[in-house]
Amino acid sequence: MDIIFFEELFFTLAFIAYTISAVLFFTYVALKSEKLGKFAVILTSVGFGIHTIAIILRVIESGRLPFTNQFEFATSFAWGIVLCYLILHYAYKFTGVGAFVMPIAFLIMGYASMLPKTIKPLMPALQSGWLYLHVGTAVVSYGAFAVAAGLAFMYLVGEKQKNSGDGKSVLPKSEVCDYLSYRVIAFGYLMLTLVIVTGAIWAKAAWARYWAWDPKETWSLITWLIYSVYIHLRFNRGWKGRPAALFAVIGFICVIFTFIGVNTILPSIHSYR
Amino acid sequence: MGNLIVAFQFDDAYSSIIFIVLMGLFMINLIGCTLKILPGQLKKMKDTYYPQPKVDGENLYVKKMDRDTFKKIIEKKRFKVIPTENGFKASKHRVGNIGSSITHLGIIIIVLGSFLGGIFAEEGFFNMVPGDVKSFPDYGFALRLDDFYLDFKDNGSVDQYNSVVTVSEQGQSPYQKTLWVNNPLKVKSLNFYQTTYGWGSRLIIKDEAGELIETKLLRNGESYFYQREHLSIYLYGFFPNMTITQMGEPLTMTEQKINPHYAVMLYEFGQHIGNYILEPGQPIDYGESIIYFEDSILYTGLTYRKDFGYFFVLIGSLLLTIGLVLSFYFYPKFVVMEDNSIKTITRQNTWGFNYQIKRLVEESMTKEE
Ligand code: HEM
Repeated sequence: MDIIFFEELFFTLAFIAYTISAVLFFTYVALKSEKLGKFAVILTSVGFGIHTIAIILRVIESGRLPFTNQFEFATSFAWGIVLCYLILHYAYKFTGVGAFVMPIAFLIMGYASMLPKTIKPLMPALQSGWLYLHVGTAVVSYGAFAVAAGLAFMYLVGEKQKNSGDGKSVLPKSEVCDYLSYRVIAFGYLMLTLVIVTGAIWAKAAWARYWAWDPKETWSLITWLIYSVYIHLRFNRGWKGRPAALFAVIGFICVIFTFIGVNTILPSIHSYR
Repeated sequence: MGNLIVAFQFDDAYSSIIFIVLMGLFMINLIGCTLKILPGQLKKMKDTYYPQPKVDGENLYVKKMDRDTFKKIIEKKRFKVIPTENGFKASKHRVGNIGSSITHLGIIIIVLGSFLGGIFAEEGFFNMVPGDVKSFPDYGFALRLDDFYLDFKDNGSVDQYNSVVTVSEQGQSPYQKTLWVNNPLKVKSLNFYQTTYGWGSRLIIKDEAGELIETKLLRNGESYFYQREHLSIYLYGFFPNMTITQMGEPLTMTEQKINPHYAVMLYEFGQHIGNYILEPGQPIDYGESIIYFEDSILYTGLTYRKDFGYFFVLIGSLLLTIGLVLSFYFYPKFVVMEDNSIKTITRQNTWGFNYQIKRLVEESMTKEE
């Protein structure tokens, strides 16, 4: 049995672990059982470990970082989301966030599982050190936006609960969700800026022009502009709470479109299937 | 690779008047805003400036804390501490004030630079087979293609395209360079990029006696009109390693000459005569002529481009990034301690900064015991 077999096995195991922990997180929030929450976090961490092994195996097999086609980017993306979530969890101990972030990780993993997993040799345009900076920052950036969207969602749900007078919630205070969501977006925004900048520098060497209004370029600019508006409103108009949370969710939908929509619907030199 | 060319035409939509006008308005807006807020930001960078703590801001003071230890911790965290009558005022990262202006300046430089660069930009595309020379008289140099070759991977797919060129600049001895995808060549102010490649195949037409009548290098998809027989010879393609698909179409999986064949179609007065799959040198006898293909060679397709806007984009991007880092991570932070009150002031990340200072307050308690 070769490495690829184990890679796929570990990928599937991680997928299963994420799925179960997403469900556990939900039940945790619904039933408010501390035990379930702890177990969900452990399962997520284990799943993350297995996922990491799967990715390492792929790196060994292909001799490069897993950044070069839809599948590789999707699995790295899911990995980035879980990483961001775990960091947030261990820094602030907000178990409830998992109920909103893990379903996103689950969906991205599900998407990845449907894509062809073959390891293809690196095509000439991708043979460059910029690949790692460009896509590495994209993975972290998208991971951060996903976590921020999860936090925003949590804010919206927490707000509802408050209105319905249900005092005992396991969710962190909505004020905290609001702030954290903003901070995470700020980080994701900085990273997205780097994705676009490194992309432009690279495009100059690979495609002769730093900007050619390729659909991926255009859509990443649109995403960037949406988050720019978010940051401005937040910073200058003191936007908070509900509208900000809705904006964070819309921004993330735009991220998903840039990632999946552009690759599947629009013709682009950027679609490395 | 063909997509590349298609992609390049995309920019047409964005050089339309509406787009330029919108961009212009955006620039005026951005420059205006930045000029408006900059003086205030500069004033806030001075050490004498301290904002007023919010009246309803959370008081982080706890009874068990040690005021002096707390002050020391704050100093250790590189805050600039100024003693006051009954406490101190501390500040840090005042430079963060101008973060947003630096970011805006970056964007302004990117947009204006690329706009100006775009006006003066020059771009072109050309094909060459080894031996061809392309001269750029306006720039005083010429390129000669010495060799063009592909690198292959084990599975037969292309690993890299390499064009070996000799550059002859006026008043300089010629030198040789190799360019490949991701490794452009710069001569004077022109950049050359490996963009595409393809096969050129030699068409040979002879008469019955074997005398050469015509010869021409055809690319895949090109045709040649042969006057004498009113014949159009259309080279559908050269297939270095031909297989025929189930649909009956020729296909090559690699560019290595393992099983080379030509797919050719003939037309007379626009009338389709026949399709042929030919080996190199294998003739079609037509009327009094013999037609065949041989000696296929690879040609390279190079793009050249001059665009000084790129340097503005680089500088602008750098400023943009630095500005964001300043805004998000080096934002101005203030701590004010008076009698029994400790308050934090910051516009960014109020909650997070409060949280950090709360921890420092706790630290000052444990140290006392
Ligand atoms: C201005 C230029 C560029 C911009 C704005 C840009 C933007 C982006 C963005 C936002 C992503 C995130 C992933 C996604 O949404 O799919 C991405 C991924 C990627 N980019 Fe770029 N990029 C640029 C240039 C380039 C160049 C020149 C190359 C290679 C020749 C490249 C190769 C890739 C690859 C391989 C991925 C990840 C795989 C994938 O998602 O299909 N990019 N780019």
